[in-house]
Amino acid sequence: MDPSEVEFLGEKQLVSIVPNFSFGIIHLISGSVGPFRAGLPVKVPIWLAISLKQQQKCRIIAQEWMDIEKLNDSIEAEKRSKLFTKMPSNHFMDEAQMLLMVAPDDIPDADNIRTAVKDIWDLRMSKLRSSVIGFVKNAGTYAKLDHLTAMEINSIRSLLPDALDIMLHMEHGGKPTVLQSLNTTM
Amino acid sequence: METKNSESEYSTEHNENVSHLEESDDEMTAERALQALENAWLNEKFSPELLPHQLELVECMLEQISHMEENLKKLEKGDIRLNIHTMEINRIRFIISSYLRKRLDKIEEYAIYFLSEDANRSSEEAFMTPAETHFAREYVSSVESLFTTLALQHMPRRIKDFELNAMSSKPNLNKHVFIRANKATDGILIPGNMNEQDFKEDSQHIIQYAAIAHLVKNGHVQLI
Repeated sequence: MDPSEVEFLGEKQLVSIVPNFSFGIIHLISGSVGPFRAGLPVKVPIWLAISLKQQQKCRIIAQEWMDIEKLNDSIEAEKRSKLFTKMPSNHFMDEAQMLLMVAPDDIPDADNIRTAVKDIWDLRMSKLRSSVIGFVKNAGTYAKLDHLTAMEINSIRSLLPDALDIMLHMEHGGKPTVLQSLNTTM
Repeated sequence: METKNSESEYSTEHNENVSHLEESDDEMTAERALQALENAWLNEKFSPELLPHQLELVECMLEQISHMEENLKKLEKGDIRLNIHTMEINRIRFIISSYLRKRLDKIEEYAIYFLSEDANRSSEEAFMTPAETHFAREYVSSVESLFTTLALQHMPRRIKDFELNAMSSKPNLNKHVFIRANKATDGILIPGNMNEQDFKEDSQHIIQYAAIAHLVKNGHVQLI
């Protein structure tokens, strides 16, 4: 899956905005949003928040976890734990990326938050890489992936399942399989 | 945790709105239908085989979209809703077309196999929609006429025939996939070492597709 599609899924998450206009409830197919009162916070999906922000119709309020102290705590917890710790959102990385990109002026301490998010990502990716290597060396065919976020799972999608498929194929004595017969048909 | 709470708040709020808004007698709200379609899209994207079609969901969403587009015509230029609804419609269109395209990709790849599988099912239980079945048949006959005009007709008589079965290939159900359990499910047999594994609700795993294929179809697990 393309990372932009993971982001597309992440854009459904809600974020609070402070609109600078007033309007009643808007009945979207995916649920209703509003009412909008100028100056009062309201929750909307991120895709809508980004669009309103770009039209300068609102201010975005940082997600609760976009707090440098909370993020530093997460970094420490991630370092201490052998397993993956639970992230505040399944779209942690992409949410941070999108909101910091479109509204750096609305989010207090944006630069430090960006760095902290990147640190967490780096920590988890290196953990992920070493656990994938361990998993493949042990010739596993099944693993639990709790607390991995959507973007992290997507980052190993192009490699891990295929590697396991091929190992399985070799284990079974390399009988001609779908893959080979496909090449001859197409 | 935070986002989860707010999400449920969001949906109850919406349901109240819908209850007095809903003019159709659909037992499924548009919001739920959209979520179901999105799940079907992701399942189709990641499963090696073709899943049972979701024609009702696709039609329901297309209806919602044209209904919405009708309503938008009544709005004046510059109405803030115009932009927002159009954006949402485009998002839904993307899901629908990506879903249908993915199915067509699979049908092209395994047309002969899917046709023979569906031939053993009743028309209600068929995995392909009538339109998809038509596409698959057309596709196979195009391939056949291509092979015939290009090469087969010039061959000695003994090897002149187009052999459907020799051309058929099956999807590899042993592919590894990422899943999330929607419901707690016990006693999943892990292929290879024959251990059993219990899935807790919301837990995530990587596993061979064949082991959980039935759970994808009954909605107990979601491919991710």
